[in-house]
Amino acid sequence: MTYYLVIFAAGFAGSFHCLGMCGGFACALGRDPRGPAATVGRHLLYNAGRLTTYCFLGGVAGALGEVWCTSRGLEVPTLNGSLDTAQRVLAITAGLLMILMALQFFGLLQGFHRVAVGFGGSTLAVSLRSLLKSPSPAAPVAFGVFNGFLPCPLVYAFAVQAASTAGALPGILVMLSFGLGTFPAMLMMGGVGRMLAPSWRQRGVWLAGSFILLLGLITLGRGMLPFAAHVHAWAGGSPG
Amino acid sequence: MTARSDNLCSHCLLPIGLRAMQRKVNGEDCAFCCYGCCIAFQVKHGKSEEWEAAWLLIRLGVGAFLTMNIMLISLVLYAGTFSGADAWLLPWIHLLLWIFATPALVILGEPYLRETWAHAAQGRVTSSALVVLGVGAAYAYSIFATIEGSEQVYFDTATMVLMLFTIGSYIEAAGRAKAARDLEPLLAAESECATVVDEGTESRRPVRDIGAGMLVRVKPGERVPVDGVVIEGLSHTDEAVITGESRQVAKRVGSAVIAGSINLDGPLLIQSSGAGSATRWAQICRSVRDALSRRSPIQRIADRVVGVSVPFVLILGGLTVAYWAQLMPFDQALLVGLAVLVVACPCAVGLAAPLATSLGIGRLARCGCLVRDPGTLEALARTRLLAFDKTGTLTSGRSRIVGIESDGAGTDEVLARAAGLERHSEHGLAHAITMAAAARGLEPVVTSDVRAVPGRGILGNADGQPMAAGNSALMGDLGWSLAPALRERARSLEASGHSVIYVGWAGRVHAVLSLDDTPLPEAHSTIEKLRSLGLHVTLLTGDLAPAARRVAAMVGIEDMQACLSPEAKRAALDQYRQSYEVVAMVGDGLNDGPVLADADVGIAVGSATDLARETASLVLPPGGLWMLPWVIAVARMVRKTILTNLMWAFGYNLVALTLAVLGLLQPVLAAAVMASSSLLLVVNSLRLSRLPDPAPSALPGRLPSAEPDSVRRALGVPVMSGPAIERG
Repeated sequence: MTYYLVIFAAGFAGSFHCLGMCGGFACALGRDPRGPAATVGRHLLYNAGRLTTYCFLGGVAGALGEVWCTSRGLEVPTLNGSLDTAQRVLAITAGLLMILMALQFFGLLQGFHRVAVGFGGSTLAVSLRSLLKSPSPAAPVAFGVFNGFLPCPLVYAFAVQAASTAGALPGILVMLSFGLGTFPAMLMMGGVGRMLAPSWRQRGVWLAGSFILLLGLITLGRGMLPFAAHVHAWAGGSPG
Repeated sequence: MTARSDNLCSHCLLPIGLRAMQRKVNGEDCAFCCYGCCIAFQVKHGKSEEWEAAWLLIRLGVGAFLTMNIMLISLVLYAGTFSGADAWLLPWIHLLLWIFATPALVILGEPYLRETWAHAAQGRVTSSALVVLGVGAAYAYSIFATIEGSEQVYFDTATMVLMLFTIGSYIEAAGRAKAARDLEPLLAAESECATVVDEGTESRRPVRDIGAGMLVRVKPGERVPVDGVVIEGLSHTDEAVITGESRQVAKRVGSAVIAGSINLDGPLLIQSSGAGSATRWAQICRSVRDALSRRSPIQRIADRVVGVSVPFVLILGGLTVAYWAQLMPFDQALLVGLAVLVVACPCAVGLAAPLATSLGIGRLARCGCLVRDPGTLEALARTRLLAFDKTGTLTSGRSRIVGIESDGAGTDEVLARAAGLERHSEHGLAHAITMAAAARGLEPVVTSDVRAVPGRGILGNADGQPMAAGNSALMGDLGWSLAPALRERARSLEASGHSVIYVGWAGRVHAVLSLDDTPLPEAHSTIEKLRSLGLHVTLLTGDLAPAARRVAAMVGIEDMQACLSPEAKRAALDQYRQSYEVVAMVGDGLNDGPVLADADVGIAVGSATDLARETASLVLPPGGLWMLPWVIAVARMVRKTILTNLMWAFGYNLVALTLAVLGLLQPVLAAAVMASSSLLLVVNSLRLSRLPDPAPSALPGRLPSAEPDSVRRALGVPVMSGPAIERG
């Protein structure tokens, strides 16, 4: 459980980074003229759509990790079991990727950012714009779903983390924790509007970067450190 | 967009085949070749206020939301969460899945169902029927299982397959639209608008409404919409789409500009010289559109295979289920059958040829080479023999003075006198003489009492002396003396195929002018390149053997036949066809129409009129002989792409189908496999758009763009046939 709580916390910290882009979307989604309850409903629907996409990505990433591990190790690994070589390689790769993304958050790797964000984002953004203005009650859900697919380094980082769990279900749970972590900030943005100063947003980005860096280092350690016991202790309450 | 023909897809510009869809977008009727294009077009072009475009996105988003949730819940189920003590929850979870799946199925499956229905009404079974049937069966079984209270339901498979198909077709359509970007300017001529200046006020009008004499303003970066003359401004234009050559041509007041060329750096005010719909550019657009909407033989075969394969796959799917049902529970056998139906969906086969051919046609058209239909490209790629016409194709088609033999008179005097006489004549050879005099800066001698003697030559008076220019018969009639050496020389020149003009004054023949149609400077290198492509090259001409032999030797053709009537040319082609199977004829499109029409590929060089006459199936721009090797290379590349596409599509389908029949491929995986196969074809075909441009640099002695335009106009020759003059 500790593991998912850490992810939740990282998601919460990271969500201050989200405010830059996704927060803008949440603001644009705005208030429902039918009253505060409708507004809350609207934003819950939007966030539910987003969360679903995250979970889906987590599931896919986890399943891919699982496929990789089973094709090497011939044994479905679990988080609290001992690590075989395939899992170690996966953990090291994931850890390195996360550290790269963290560095990018600190503005150290500009090229990487472009690769991460330039991938099909423009078409999605175009389609999102036309959804924003739609009065349909179903529009926020669709908006959230597409928003979840928007290229975002934060989401990628956690998807990589999900892949390193080498299982569809833990993958889903990683992204679920992360997604739930982003809920408070995003709901707040939707309800209150833009209230954080740019300087605060910058601090949010650093906070998110630090958390990802930490997670990346831990994941890397999981792959590198020789003692399975260490991992076991760390990911203690994870599902089995 | 409404100006576009109805049989091209509004999004990817491919011909609309069997899977046509009609929709209204932004208030305009649009037709799409598939569901993917329909989505992609609305995502890209749908205005945000437009309800339909947003509605489509909402539906897709909600469909994705439901599908993903179904998958997530199913994953939790598969993990065994609801076994043991929580098993009582299972029926409720199944019910929840059912509730989620039903709207998802309706939302995502509706286009496929509608398509199946429309085709069924026409008595056809298409690939969408496979999807509908497979997904419908999985859904129906799952309902049954839910009511029965059994362990397994397959709502996730049913919805996920639909979702993947939708995404796959969207991605594929997006890729195809990338290909269509090349075609866009070529199809724009008629729908394009131009800025018309009328008594100081500017208004946007469709190009087809522009008539002669109207003033049109063209900003830098815009395409010149009409043929005309610059009356204000200074700029450069790129005429690649008309002449095939991408180079900057300087334009100033008085310069002629061609519709379809791109105005590069300065604003121009142009006076239109003709109707907007009568330009070569407009002709090119019509021709490209016609070509795109036709289907090639390979495509027809592929379509037939697709048509036959669908019922076959249905039967195969049924048999698979029947077989596996004896070995495993029925629900799993059903899944195997679903995988078979999904993976056998022959979308990729239908896509293999049209994408590659339209890319090829667009690539050629952007350089001014027009193809009548996709079959032309295929035939050209298989061509092993190229027969050339001589006059106007390998040669400039205009005689030039190549030698002056004189007897007691200076060359300049001869030319000045001959020009003085011949400038009163309309004869083709006369033009060559006045041109030669002008080129040397000679003032033609003033000549009076000029009269033409039909079939003989021309007579007149200059400086009080009688003057004559014409053939030996004219000199014989006049009884003028001719030095034996000159007579001998003239005879040998005539024997070698030259045209000979005797020039005399004061009772004596003073000179013999020899004229000849000279080969184009690029002819030799072109023939050489063609030969290096493995083609056999031959010359078929109606001219006399000596002239033909000389030209053949100059351009490097060994095999030639002369003195051929058009019928004899056709017979010769037929004979070649027996040993070379596919033969192409290259002509100027004016005199050799029937022969061009008779060849497997008739190639006309530079004849704008021929576009309308439909004798040639490939038309090169004026002076575009040098592009022929490139055109053939493109055609071969297109054919190779089509063949690899087809091999890939069939091979991929067969392997995947085998796996599916053996029960080794999950339906969801099968859908992913299908989507990726179409994507691979798109990527493979897109390589065509990276083909290099033809390289004119290999041409010897090409003029830079300094002044050809003004020279052409000064000569009173139409701008269109300009490059031929430059080189002649």
